[in-house]
Amino acid sequence: MQSVNTLLKKVVRSSVFPFTAQHGMKKDFFPLGRTLSLSFFMKQDDSCSPSEKIDLDGWKKVMKSGLQEVNETVSEHKELSSLARAREILEMWRLAGRSVPENITEEQLKAFIECPSKSAQKKYLKFLYLKELYKKNDRRKMIEKRERRLEEQEQDSKPDGTRRNSFIYFQNNSMDKAYNWRVAQSMIFGQSLVFDMSYEKDMSIREVTNTVRQIVLSESINRKSMDPFHIHFCNLKEDSLYQKEFIKHYREAWDRLLVTATDQCYTEVFPKDKLIYLTADSPKVMKTFDHDKIYIIGSMVDKSIKTGVSLARAKRLGLETAALPLEKYLLWNSGAKNLTLDQMMHILLTLKDTGDWRKALEFVPKRKYISFVNKPVHELKKTLNLINTLKLGKRQEEIQKQFAKSYSK
Amino acid sequence: IQPPEKPLQSEEWNSLRESFSSPEIFEEVMLNSMVKCNSPVDVAKSLLTHVAKSHGDIAYSLLIKYLALCVQQGKTSEILDVYDIMKIRFKILESGAYNLLIRGLSNSDQWRMALTLLEEIKKIMIPSRTSYELCIKAASRHQEMNLAFELYHEMLDKNLAPTLDVMQAFFDFSRGMKGAELQKELFGILFYLRDNQIYPHKTFMQSIKLWFESIPGENWRGHQTNIKDSGKCPVCNHQLEDSSLTEEEYNNLRERIIRDVIHGTDTFRKTSPQEFEAFQTFVENRLPFDIVIDGLNVSHMQLRQTQCENLFNAVNCLAKGNARLLVLGRKHMLTNSSNWRKDLMKEMQDKADFFFAENISEDDTFLLYATLRSGKHCKFVTRDFLRDHKACLSDSGTRHLFRKWQRGHQIAFYSSAEGKHINFLMFLPLFIQQPALRYDCVVQTTGDTWHIPYKNIFEEKYSYQIPRKWLCIQQK
Repeated sequence: MQSVNTLLKKVVRSSVFPFTAQHGMKKDFFPLGRTLSLSFFMKQDDSCSPSEKIDLDGWKKVMKSGLQEVNETVSEHKELSSLARAREILEMWRLAGRSVPENITEEQLKAFIECPSKSAQKKYLKFLYLKELYKKNDRRKMIEKRERRLEEQEQDSKPDGTRRNSFIYFQNNSMDKAYNWRVAQSMIFGQSLVFDMSYEKDMSIREVTNTVRQIVLSESINRKSMDPFHIHFCNLKEDSLYQKEFIKHYREAWDRLLVTATDQCYTEVFPKDKLIYLTADSPKVMKTFDHDKIYIIGSMVDKSIKTGVSLARAKRLGLETAALPLEKYLLWNSGAKNLTLDQMMHILLTLKDTGDWRKALEFVPKRKYISFVNKPVHELKKTLNLINTLKLGKRQEEIQKQFAKSYSK
Repeated sequence: IQPPEKPLQSEEWNSLRESFSSPEIFEEVMLNSMVKCNSPVDVAKSLLTHVAKSHGDIAYSLLIKYLALCVQQGKTSEILDVYDIMKIRFKILESGAYNLLIRGLSNSDQWRMALTLLEEIKKIMIPSRTSYELCIKAASRHQEMNLAFELYHEMLDKNLAPTLDVMQAFFDFSRGMKGAELQKELFGILFYLRDNQIYPHKTFMQSIKLWFESIPGENWRGHQTNIKDSGKCPVCNHQLEDSSLTEEEYNNLRERIIRDVIHGTDTFRKTSPQEFEAFQTFVENRLPFDIVIDGLNVSHMQLRQTQCENLFNAVNCLAKGNARLLVLGRKHMLTNSSNWRKDLMKEMQDKADFFFAENISEDDTFLLYATLRSGKHCKFVTRDFLRDHKACLSDSGTRHLFRKWQRGHQIAFYSSAEGKHINFLMFLPLFIQQPALRYDCVVQTTGDTWHIPYKNIFEEKYSYQIPRKWLCIQQK
């Protein structure tokens, strides 16, 4: 048995393709080969170590063989443009399992090269990677949906003719007509709401895109509401990044949009004493929603920390400012007090319709606050102090009890 | 999953793979855990052989993981083999593989190969700081100091900040070597520490000391010491550098504060042009002040006392010795309330000048302006670290200047009983003044002496704290 094994080993070693050789040999010449060479237990009984049994460097041969042709083409690729080289680096990163998109356009590649630092590059790639992933998932879902619909249609088509109904189906089209009618009315009689589009220079390109997306959302929320605002885009310059992004979103509908877009400042359009600038930095807290005032929302997404930019604008123009009474109604947990534009739109619309702060502030993201507060401001201050003492870690249990008592209801 | 202890046959790998919950990533997970458990290379090899047999190819990510395992165990010949394979298989490699290769090779007798790899990276991207440092260490370990310093300067040129570790390596491996050029380079590192206000840690300090003492024929002696408040070194009686800025630095700092901190992108963000102008004329008419106080900051010192009383105590404490005081506050302090009593405010206004800013303006910026305008002797009082204002300065040079100026001019107040014994808060607070430093806490030299501040490794050190321990080196 021993000799058979060593013979087998020799044959295997000398062969260029050890695995096929081993396989072939076994089958053809040694009917007992299977039990001899492959039994795990027997190998361990053998005096020689198992590593001799398995050709450990076999993978190297595999990797090196059959790639000779590739090797020749490699040398031709010596001189590459920076773009092509970046593309190759990306491909290698993808192979190494980093978050890198599979396909990348020339433009994106240029943006990648122009990133100022390695971490910026990494971030940008991750952004593209996730975007690609979402897109892929969406496409997959769409296909699944289509298939399901086709199946359903097939089933439906058999019992035909029974689905006659005297109701007219509301088409999207007619809904749109109804909405537009309402917005058109509000453009004549409705309350104005201003989006201040003068923050382009304070934002990165990504932030501007996000801003425009939020405004588009806000506009659709407004359009579908019972009593819409008359939306003004003030300080919107021709050929600005905002404008370009808007057109990207709305395409030809941009010119038919029922909003007022102007490059004038709101101070030129409206009387100054009617304007209130909404900003989270404002020292004044809004008490009630005033139907005679014109509220201004700064169209800005502020991912880096730039406090007081919109407050500075209001100060410069000498306008009244206001902040939402978030602390008064909500026991704040974490996150910045600035809300997204569509959340602001939801809140303002609800206030306009009902005047109910509780209902309006439902639109503040749940993760940002612990609960609604039933008590007046000074009580809340007490809790905040309590939390602060809690953080200091003194007499914790006692304070916790107190805390539970004052907030049990 | 637990990697096997011995190399397995293909069949065995297959059965393991099938028993694993998600077979498609089995190899990756297995190799990862091999790296984690530091399994024998042979086991990994057998897995790769299995993969090669069944797929006819091995994915790049698996090769990298295998490479990591080889690097971890210092298997140089394997590393070279993997590199060869990668080179045949792929047009270029990415940074992760290069880093691993350099790490593996720089510690072996093939360290020159690491240098060629570094050159290879440079063709496609900027090498990482670790790659540079590994090469530098390898070169200096083999006494090729010129090469090491060449790489070091190249690294600095590419804006990669060297770690203390690599700097320490320079001192360690130059021990006992003579040469004017080498000495100049090492002094250059010490000046780098000085310029960037970096403090070495204790073991690094030891390396510096040993290097100095090992220079043949120069007779340097090093001592660990504490510097007195007066700024005199107890070992060599040398007076440390003054903490004050030069005239040029001072003017530069003042202009930059006005430009970047007060005005910034928009004057309205922190104040308004009218208000700032009013403040400027206010200051010009009353110059110069000796101490500028951040009224609101000081007023929050003791929670058991009203804000007004706190400020009152502080003003009384500082008004001794005819110092000209300026207190900065906000307009709301003037309204009579439980926190701010009119009579006390009146009394204080006799002892000090007051400026009240708008409630939404930032008073810190006024504090900086008034102190800098009053001249070099003027100090300011606040417990605020002023980090946000430092962050407004656009370049690191000016930030260092700001830190230095802050160290020399800021007085921080702490009430004696703060935090420790709540009962003591009932007593009248005794103020402890943390004095502004009179000497500058940076690496410094006079030619025949060196003074190097250092930190203990185990001691917590915040950016605003400065080390109290020094290494004094003098030539006998």
